[in-house]
Amino acid sequence: MRRWLALAVGAALVLLVPHPPAPVSAAGALETTVRDDGGKPLADVVVSLTATGTSPTGPRPPAAVMDQQNKTFVPLVLAVPVGTPVTFPNRDNIRHHVYSFSAPKRFELPLYIGTPAAPVVFDKAGVIVLGCNIHDWMVGYVYVADTPYFAKTAEDGRTRVADVPPGAYEARVWHPRMRGEPDKTAKPVTIATGESIQLTFVVALKPDRRPSPPRPQYEERPQGS
Amino acid sequence: MKKMQFQSFRSRLVAVFLGLFVVIQATGYAVVAAFVRSTARQHVEDELRLASTLFARQLDDRTRQLVAATRLLSGDFALKTAVATADHATTASVLDNHRQRVDADILILASLDGAVVADTQRPARHGAPFPAPRLLEEAEAGRQGSDVVAIDGRLYRLTVVPLMAPEPIAWLAAGFAIDDRIAADLARLSGLQVSFVAHEGGQAAVQASTLAAADREALARQLPSGRKAGVLELDGGEHLLRIEPVGQNVVVVLQRPLAQALAPYDRLLLILLVVAVAGVLLALLGATLVARRVSRPVLTLAQGARRVAAGDFTTSVAIRQRDELGELASTFNEMVGGLRERERVRDELERTARLKRFFSPPLADALSAGDESLLTSHRREITVVFCDLRGFTAFAEAADAEEVMRLLREYHEAVGPLVFRYEGTLERFTGDGLMVFFNDPVPCPDPAARAVRMAVAMRDAVASLLQTWRRRGHLLGFGAGIAMGYATIGRIGFEGRFDYAAIGTVTNLSARLCQEARDGQILVSQQVYVEIESLVEAKAVGPLALRGFAKPVPVYDVLGLRPEPTPTVVGATT
Repeated sequence: MRRWLALAVGAALVLLVPHPPAPVSAAGALETTVRDDGGKPLADVVVSLTATGTSPTGPRPPAAVMDQQNKTFVPLVLAVPVGTPVTFPNRDNIRHHVYSFSAPKRFELPLYIGTPAAPVVFDKAGVIVLGCNIHDWMVGYVYVADTPYFAKTAEDGRTRVADVPPGAYEARVWHPRMRGEPDKTAKPVTIATGESIQLTFVVALKPDRRPSPPRPQYEERPQGS
Repeated sequence: MKKMQFQSFRSRLVAVFLGLFVVIQATGYAVVAAFVRSTARQHVEDELRLASTLFARQLDDRTRQLVAATRLLSGDFALKTAVATADHATTASVLDNHRQRVDADILILASLDGAVVADTQRPARHGAPFPAPRLLEEAEAGRQGSDVVAIDGRLYRLTVVPLMAPEPIAWLAAGFAIDDRIAADLARLSGLQVSFVAHEGGQAAVQASTLAAADREALARQLPSGRKAGVLELDGGEHLLRIEPVGQNVVVVLQRPLAQALAPYDRLLLILLVVAVAGVLLALLGATLVARRVSRPVLTLAQGARRVAAGDFTTSVAIRQRDELGELASTFNEMVGGLRERERVRDELERTARLKRFFSPPLADALSAGDESLLTSHRREITVVFCDLRGFTAFAEAADAEEVMRLLREYHEAVGPLVFRYEGTLERFTGDGLMVFFNDPVPCPDPAARAVRMAVAMRDAVASLLQTWRRRGHLLGFGAGIAMGYATIGRIGFEGRFDYAAIGTVTNLSARLCQEARDGQILVSQQVYVEIESLVEAKAVGPLALRGFAKPVPVYDVLGLRPEPTPTVVGATT
C-alpha cells in the first residue's frame, strides 16, 4: 500500500517538473539488457550515457525521494542527476539515523521521524553510500549522475534510456556489488534519430555481504485475544 | 668344625629363604614402580591433553570476547566519523580511547588497501603496511580473521573486523598481548608451566613463558616440531610436553615435571618399600625360626651322636616330629639301641671271660647266658679243695724273683686246666695256694667225687713237675685238703674287682686239712670220705686236732683212685 503511495508520489513529482525542452530533432534511445556473470538478469543497475563532447547542463533537476520503509532504504539504488535534492522520509514508526561518509556527499540526519524539512542536495557526481547508524544492515545508494541520460534496470535486467539526442556517447553501467571500476565498462555508442540502440552488459558481482537484519528473538503475541 | 657346619647349614637355609623372599619383594616392587611410573606418565599426558583443550578454549573465549568488543567498537559512529573525515590525530585519539574501553592491548586501524592509519602501540607506524596482511585477506574474504602474530617482537592475539559505514571503510584490528602475564594467568588455572613459542624461519623462540630464562632456552632447543607430545629434559628432571598450535606460527607448550606427578606415588612407593623391608625382616625372623626348628633336631641328633661316640649307649634323642627328621631320630634311636645291644653282648662276653676266671668255660657260659642271681649271696653245701706246695715259702725267700715266677707259672699251667676240666669253681689263687669248690654256683650231682678226682689229677700232674724242680735244686712238695659242708657263698669286692667267695667252717676245715697234709697227701674229712669211699683207695689217718676245731677231726688220706669201669667225668676231653 505504502509502496504504491510512494511510487504515486514519486510519479507525481516527476510529472510536476516540466520536461527539458525537446532537442531540435527527434531523439533516439538506448535499450540495455544487463546480466550478471551467472547469466541472470540484474536489477538496480544504473546505465548512463555520457556525451563524448560537452555534456549538456540541464535545468535544476526535480527532487527525488529515498524512503526508509520497514528498516530498509527504498529504493536500494536511487539514480539522480547532479544537483538533485533528495528527501529521506521515514515511514517507519521508529527513528532512523541516516548518514553518509561518501566523499561526494557527507551528511547526517540524526535520529528523526517523519520527513526532514530540508532535502539533501547531491551536488557532486558519484556514488553515495547511505547507512543508518542504528540499523547496521540498512544500506542504500544514491547514484549521482553527471548526465541527464541514465536509467536503472528493472527485475528483468532491462532498461531503456529515452530521449537521447543523437550523437556520440559512452555507455556505462554501475551496480553496488560490481567488481571493478565503472569506467572500465564504458562502451562507445552513437545515438541516431528515431533509433533504439541495443546493448548488453555483463557485470561481475562481488558476494553480497550486507549484514542481515536480526531475526526476532521472540514471537509477538497476536493482539486482541 | 661340626658345629660350624651346622651353623652354616642354618644360615644357608635362612639365606635361601631370605633370598627368595627378597627376589619376590624386589620383583613386586619393580613391577609396581614401573606400573606407577607409566600410570603417572599417562596421568600427566591426560592432564596435559585436557589442559590443552581448556587452554584453547580459554584463548578462544578471550578472542571471542575481544571480537565481540571490537565489533561493538567498530559500530561506534564517532569512530566512523573520525575515520571518514581522515582526521588522523582524532582517529588515533579515538582509537586510544576505545582501546581502554575494550581493554585490549593493541588497536590498529588499517585502510582498505592495507596501510596502517593509526596504531595505539606505535603511532609512528602510520602509513606502514599492516603487520599481519594475511588477517586482512581473511577479513576481506568474509572470514573472522584471527591469529597470534608477532608485532615488534611481542606476541599478540590479533583479530580484524571491518569498519562498516555501512560498507567497509577501514579495518579495525584489536589484540591482546600474549606475554608472561597471560602465561602466568593460564598457568594459575592448571598448575602447569605454560610457554608460547613462535617459529620464525625454522627458529623457535619462546616469546612468553612461566619458565625461567635457562629453561626457556632449553625448551626452544628441544621443542619437537610437528608433534603434539614431547619430552623436555631440564636440570630438575624430565618434563612432559603438550604442544598445541594457537596461531599460524605459534604454539602453546604446556609442561609438567614428571617428578611432580610421581610425588604422590613416592609416598606409595615408600610405604611399599617399608612393607617390603618389614616383610624381609619378618621373613628373616621366620626363616631363622624355621631354620632353627629344622636345625635344632639336627643339633639334638648331633649331640646324641656325640654322646654315643663318647660311649654312652643309653642315650636316645627325643624328637617327636612326624617328618623326615622324626624318622631320622627314631632311626638314630634304633641304631643306638643296636649299638647298646652289641655293647651289652660285648659286656656279656667280657663278663663271661671274667666268669671264666672263677668257673670252667662251660660253666661260665652257662652263667653268662642266665642271670647273675647265681652270684648273689646264698648258702649251700659245697665241697672245698685246698692245695699248695710244701716248702714254697722257704723257696720263695731264698730263690730270686724270676725263678719264683717261672716256677709258679709252670705250676699254674699244670693245675689250672684241671680246675676247669672238673668244673670246679676257682675261689682263690694266691701264690702257690689254690682254693676250688664244687656244687656252686652250678649244682652238680657228685661234688665230692669231682673234688677228689681233681685233687688226684693235680697230684699226678704236679708229681712230674716236682721231679723237674728237684733236679733244679728246689725241694718242694704238694698237698691237698678236701672238706664238705655248708657255706655262705657270694660275690664280694667292689665294682671292677669282684671275687666269688665261700665263707664257712668247710673252707676252714679244708684249709687246715691242706696244712696238715704232707707231700703227696690228699686229706679228706669224714663227710667227704663217706661220699667217695667206693671210688678211692684211702686209709684213715686218725682224728687230728686242728686249730679252730674243738674236737679232733677224723681224716682220711686218699691214696689213689680205684679203677673204674666207666668214666663219669664230664667234659674230661676238653
